[in-house]
Formats: sequence, structure tokens, C-alpha cells
Amino acid sequence: MPSQPQLDAATRRFELNTSLRSLLLSGLDLPDDPEHVDFDEPLFGRGLELDSLDTLEIVSILEEEFGVLVSDEDRTIFGSINKLADVIEAEQQ
Amino acid sequence: MTQQSRQQQPTQQQPIALVVGASRGIGRATAIEMAAHGYRVVGWYRSDAAADAEVARQIADDGGWYQGRRTDITDQQQVREGLSDLRRTDGSLQAVIVSAGITRDGLAGTMSLEAFTGVLQTNLVGSFLVARGALRAMRKHGGSIVLMSSTSGIRGQAGQTNYAASKGGVIAMTQALAKEAAPLGIRVNSLAPGFVDTDMFRAMDPRTRASVTDHIPLGRVGRPAEIARAARFLAGPDSSYITGQTLVIDGGMTS
Ligand SMILES: NC(=O)c1ccc[n+]([C@@H]2O[C@H](COP(=O)([O-])OP(=O)(O)OC[C@H]3O[C@@H](n4cnc5c(N)ncnc54)[C@H](OP(=O)(O)O)[C@@H]3O)[C@@H](O)[C@H]2O)c1
Repeated sequence: MPSQPQLDAATRRFELNTSLRSLLLSGLDLPDDPEHVDFDEPLFGRGLELDSLDTLEIVSILEEEFGVLVSDEDRTIFGSINKLADVIEAEQQ
Repeated sequence: MTQQSRQQQPTQQQPIALVVGASRGIGRATAIEMAAHGYRVVGWYRSDAAADAEVARQIADDGGWYQGRRTDITDQQQVREGLSDLRRTDGSLQAVIVSAGITRDGLAGTMSLEAFTGVLQTNLVGSFLVARGALRAMRKHGGSIVLMSSTSGIRGQAGQTNYAASKGGVIAMTQALAKEAAPLGIRVNSLAPGFVDTDMFRAMDPRTRASVTDHIPLGRVGRPAEIARAARFLAGPDSSYITGQTLVIDGGMTS
């Protein structure tokens, strides 16, 4: 059985992922139904088709909404919503 | 999805202009000029709070809107915080004018590394940090960025290797930024003043100062307001088809 703090952390993470997903979909003008975008889906290439302006959008959203500064050199973090959320969680601790 | 160019969107919100280096000289005149033309002006300065308060007073007396903020543009964190404050200001950021700049003249053979990098840090790196933030802030609705170069960035003067390098860098950076920013509906230009009557000019060696007019066909140094009007032109919709350019304003000196 997971402990209460573990459950709380999982809930917070789910909420972070969900809000990040809706910020990204609306910021990137993607019409997708949020439920269809998996938290582990690659953001570039095989998954959502994003370009360099979209990278700017993601970098801007992280800074404006979460106060997290990343650059396009941090390539791996653009891997998926979960990877971005990892960075936000690490910064916020 | 963002392949095609975005156009600068007309907005119902009041336009905001960020003027960096607004406490004195050309920046001060630009803040006053922008406020007189209906922009809500946010002005950044490095340390001179008394001079900033004076700008605030003058703009308020003229019926304009101004908010000053101490923000050192050599510090990435301060630039981020300044832009984050700006997002909470009512209105839409349409124009960013970077007038902040310093000189530390001296001959290259005896110049300290600190004097060289210090000037680059403010004039070039600081301009980059503000421009980077401006691209993010204006990415959805477009706008205009005006950077400050100098005729010294076109023709290097003895005693100014640091300053000339920084201002030449601003011209090249303007061209590169303009190409990147165009798809976002953001234009980027710079101004290259010759000699302008400000604290920076008055700090020059008196003999050089006295002789400069000999090289200026119009026979006088420029006034800050004359640069400010050009800044407003490049910052606003009247220059909607101009980007990547450096406008020289020098009384004919380099012609
Ligand atoms: N005057 C000329 O003849 C001339 C000619 C060609 C180009 N320019 C360029 O035009 C621009 C304005 O020159 P100016 O003559 O108006 O200079 P100025 O009278 O010395 O004023 C400089 C302004 O920049 C601000 N500033 C300096 N470093 C800063 C920093 N790190 N962060 C934020 N603000 C900073 C100052 O703030 P504080 O008041 O707090 O110090 C002040 O408001 C400069 O880029 C200069 O290189 C001037």
C-alpha cells in the first residue's frame, strides 16, 4: 500500500502533468483533445509535430508559468510532457 | 503549425513600451516621447533612482503613464524578474527600446580585460538578454525591438576597441534577430547616433568634445529628443516594413 505522502506526491504530479499538457496544447494552438496526448509521447518528431517556434513557445511557457529557465540546448527535456514535468519538479524543490 | 508568418495583431489593449536605460540621456527622452504618444511606458534603469523619479514626474505632469524599475540588464535574473513584472502590467507589450549603454574608453594596449568585457556585457550581452525576453513576451502578438548601436559600431574610433566591438556587435545582432523574429511578426532594428548631448557625451575629454562639430556637416551635436523621435518611428507601426536595419542619426558625420 502506498503511504499518504506518496499518494499526495502522485496526485500533485498528475495535476502538474495535466496542467502542463493543457498549457502546451493551447500555447501551441494544437486542436487535439488533451486526453489523446500521452504524458510520455515524444514532443518532437514521432509524436506531436513541433518546430523551432514551438520550442520558443515551450521555453516561454516554462518560464512564465513555472519560473523555470531552460534553453534549446537542454534537448532531452523536450522529450515528453513527463520529462518537462521532471524539470519543473526538480526546480521547484 | 507555426510555419507561416504571423502578422502583428491589432490589439484593443493599451500599448506598452519598455524603455531600457530610461533614467537619463537618450533613453529618458525616448520614454518621454513614447509616453507623449500614448504608450504606457515601463522604464528600466541601473542605479540612478533620483533621475528615474524625475522622468516619472515629468511624464506624469504631461499626463502620461510611466513606471520605473531598477533592473540591471547585465544580470539575467533581474531581466527575467523585470519581464515577469511587466506581464502583470495592464496592456500589451508592443515596443522594446534598449538605450542602456556604457563607455570605458582607453587604448587597447593598456586596457584591462575587465574594461573590455564590462562594456560588452552591458552593451551587447545586456541587449541580447532584453531582446531574448522580448521575443518571448511578444511571441503571440508581434511588436518591435529597437537596439542602440552607434556610429562607433560602423567606424571604430581609437580608444574605443571595447565600445566599437559592442556596437558593431549590436548591428550584426540586429540583422540576425530580425530574420529570426520576422515569422513572429516582430521587427528588430537599431539606431546609430553620432554625438548626442547627454551625460555620456559630456564625460568625453573636453578637447575632443570641442572639436567634434568640425566633423559634423550640420555643425552641432544631436539632441536626445532627435534620437527619441527616430526610436519611436522604428518602434511603432509607421515603420511596419522596416526590419534588420540600422538607422544612422549623426548630422551627416559619416555621410
Ligand atoms: N550620447 C552619445 O553621444 C551617444 C552616441 C552614440 C550612441 N549612444 C548610445 O546611446 C545609448 C544611450 O546613451 P546616453 O548618452 O543616453 O547614455 P547616458 O546618458 O549615460 O545614460 C545611460 C542610461 O543607461 C542606463 N544603464 C547603463 N547601464 C545599465 C544597465 N546595466 N542596466 C540598465 N540600465 C543601464 C543608465 O542608468 P542609470 O541612470 O541608473 O545609470 C542610464 O539610464 C547608449 O547605448 C550609448 O552607447 C550614445
